[in-house]
Amino acid sequence: MNILTGLINGMISGATPILLAALGGTFTYYAGIFNIAMEGMMLSGAFFAVLGSYYFNSWPMGILCAILGSLFMALIFILFAVKLKTDEFVTGIALNLFAVGSTTYLLRQIFDVKGAFSKPGIVPIPRLNIPLINKIPFLGDILSGQNMIIYLTILLTILAAYMIFKTRFGLRLRAAGYNAACLDSSGVSTDRVRTWSLILCGVFCGLAGAFLSLGYVTLFSENMSAGRGWISLAAVILVNGNPWGIALISLIFGFTDGFGLLLQQYLPSQFTSMVPYVATLIALYFYSVKARNKKA
Amino acid sequence: MTKPIIEMKNIIKVFPPNVVALDSVSADFMQGEIHAIVGENGAGKSTLMKVLYGLEHANSGEIFFQEVKIENKNAGEAIARGIGMVHQEILLIPEYTVWENIILGEEPTGLFGKIDQHAAREQVKSRIDEFQFNLDPDSKVEDISVAARQKVEILKLLYRNVSVLILDEPTAVLTPQEIPQLFLELRRLAKNGKTILFISHHLEEVLELSDRITVMRKGAKIATVDAANTSKDSLAQMMVGREVLFSSQRIEQIPGEVVFNTENLSFRDANLRIRLENVSLSVRAGEIVGIAGVEGNGQLELVNCMMGMSKPFQGKIVVNNCDLTHAEILERRRFISFVSQDRSKMGASIKDSILDNVRMTHHRLNPKFTHWKGLLLNDVYARKFTAQIEKAFAVVMGSADNEFRSLSGGNQQKVILGRELLLDTPFILLDQPTRGLDVGSIEYVHETILKMRGQNRAILLISADLEELFRIADRILVIFRGKIVADLPVAQTNIEQIGYLMLEGREKINAAKTD
Repeated sequence: MNILTGLINGMISGATPILLAALGGTFTYYAGIFNIAMEGMMLSGAFFAVLGSYYFNSWPMGILCAILGSLFMALIFILFAVKLKTDEFVTGIALNLFAVGSTTYLLRQIFDVKGAFSKPGIVPIPRLNIPLINKIPFLGDILSGQNMIIYLTILLTILAAYMIFKTRFGLRLRAAGYNAACLDSSGVSTDRVRTWSLILCGVFCGLAGAFLSLGYVTLFSENMSAGRGWISLAAVILVNGNPWGIALISLIFGFTDGFGLLLQQYLPSQFTSMVPYVATLIALYFYSVKARNKKA
Repeated sequence: MTKPIIEMKNIIKVFPPNVVALDSVSADFMQGEIHAIVGENGAGKSTLMKVLYGLEHANSGEIFFQEVKIENKNAGEAIARGIGMVHQEILLIPEYTVWENIILGEEPTGLFGKIDQHAAREQVKSRIDEFQFNLDPDSKVEDISVAARQKVEILKLLYRNVSVLILDEPTAVLTPQEIPQLFLELRRLAKNGKTILFISHHLEEVLELSDRITVMRKGAKIATVDAANTSKDSLAQMMVGREVLFSSQRIEQIPGEVVFNTENLSFRDANLRIRLENVSLSVRAGEIVGIAGVEGNGQLELVNCMMGMSKPFQGKIVVNNCDLTHAEILERRRFISFVSQDRSKMGASIKDSILDNVRMTHHRLNPKFTHWKGLLLNDVYARKFTAQIEKAFAVVMGSADNEFRSLSGGNQQKVILGRELLLDTPFILLDQPTRGLDVGSIEYVHETILKMRGQNRAILLISADLEELFRIADRILVIFRGKIVADLPVAQTNIEQIGYLMLEGREKINAAKTD
């Protein structure tokens, strides 16, 4: 029983940062931007979350700083890819590299440490105990006592699906991706819609980063996003951006993450930490098979 | 007496550095009329309309809308004032439903920006009913025909309450059967008080549909005439500035040996539906064979099989006794000159230079185009060759290094024709070679085709334009649902008979044959 709840809780917390980043990415996916900068935005968010939490001694300030740090990355993307019309792929690569370099540099300059920064002064985001529900055997351990960000993520998934499929913003957002010329000729600026999608992506990735460094663990280590942004990109592409599909895929990746940890008892950790990435490759293979069958 | 709803006065538009697109053009359009604007490609008719719609900005001149001077900075402003334009290429989102496409940009919303689907559908439905457009607001745009998509574009503007509709060559994308329906709807719109400005270079259509016609040539307005008081010939003369021969004179000539033939050619698509069924046809030297048919009856598949872009599952393709059924595309090109129906996609690489477009194919087949056995391109020879085409085919072009798309449609087609015909192949395959061209260019293309016939080449001409086939072809084959259903010498048939065969796939049974 304990192993099972452990595995499920591991799956949920492993899925959360991927889900958040992928929800951000799905806005840009629908807007027709090839956005690969979730990795960089998330990493920047994770760093500034620790910075904010440590200096203000407050986790809400940590979240705020995380969002601002990630938004800063999004704004660079907007400036180059939307305003100056540079190549989105190159811009994304540059941002991801910039995020690794700058957070590592700032870590060494500000905190004077190498590798990882961990201090009791960093206030983590608290867990939420829901009265009554936490009394339910087995389910209580899963439904209650999770990190606040996890509950927020569930709400945001619903919100994202609603925004994309039910609202005026969503209709225009998807139009920007399907046929930008059509949207422009309908009197709506595609650039403005894309800018908003990137700002949303920035906010979501900031939350993902905050969860990484103030929820999952309470520290910042160099390059701690560790490819989760890329996996989130794969999740978005796999399900053609559908938020519910993304949630499902994220849970599967979260499961492989937790499963990898479990496997560490039997296999060297270098192999077990490969599990999520191998899962990505397998998923992409099945996706391509599905796409090819559709075509024929 | 109706008042003009729009007056354009002395509009001048110069494209840098020194191309005068509009040379002090004045025109007026009446409330509730259908007004055609005709002219050759590059005559400035589209530019004039774009100035009105705010997509281009005039260097000088004034526009009055309902007697108030206006200046549209962009399309949005024009639409807000009540002037809308349907472009040639249809701009819709295939994945969206009809009503979603129509409301995009002007969505009725409720709480939290939620789209009020009910209100949206009702509004769209009422517009559809008002103009009897026969559309289902809930069908997806990708599932409806091109003609229906055009209706959606028009509805999109009507939803925004425009009073003036500009249509840029609306019939270019339609099949002959769909055109009368469009005309009916446009007339109904005009009757309801909408003003319709309609760009075209199809003179019969213009005469049939419009109340008044404005003719433009080389950036200047030549005249505005009442459709009732003019004729096709006088319009053509005004457009081109000289007389146009609508019936090219064909010299009788006895065709020679069979150059090209197919035997029982059959083709299945990816869903295993039969698209071509036992197509056997032959073309002799010095003969023009036309293929008539409603679009989508196998013409595209036939061309693809001939050029090696699709594989037939049965049958043979033979040129000059060489079996090309399974030959590589390059090998086929030694025998077949090919003008595709889509200039901008298959016929040319429009973003590349004219020079590169001219030497394509030649650089693989003719060693003069390269140094060191194909390792390096020979620019000097290619330039000479381009100049040769420019001269021989009367192409109006700047430098050979300009992008191909900078040429007008007629000149693009001349360059492609030049490239293909100078391959000096025995067989020439022409797929809709005059689609989208103006009268002057069509005349030129026809003359060139007849000249090739004079040089004893075998020519297969696929065309949706029956008049074209009757003007130049010697023999007409009718294709219907992938089968050749008739093979008739032009002298022994007429447009009505071919038209009936195209639609029904069989001869009309004469009811009065009993005596």
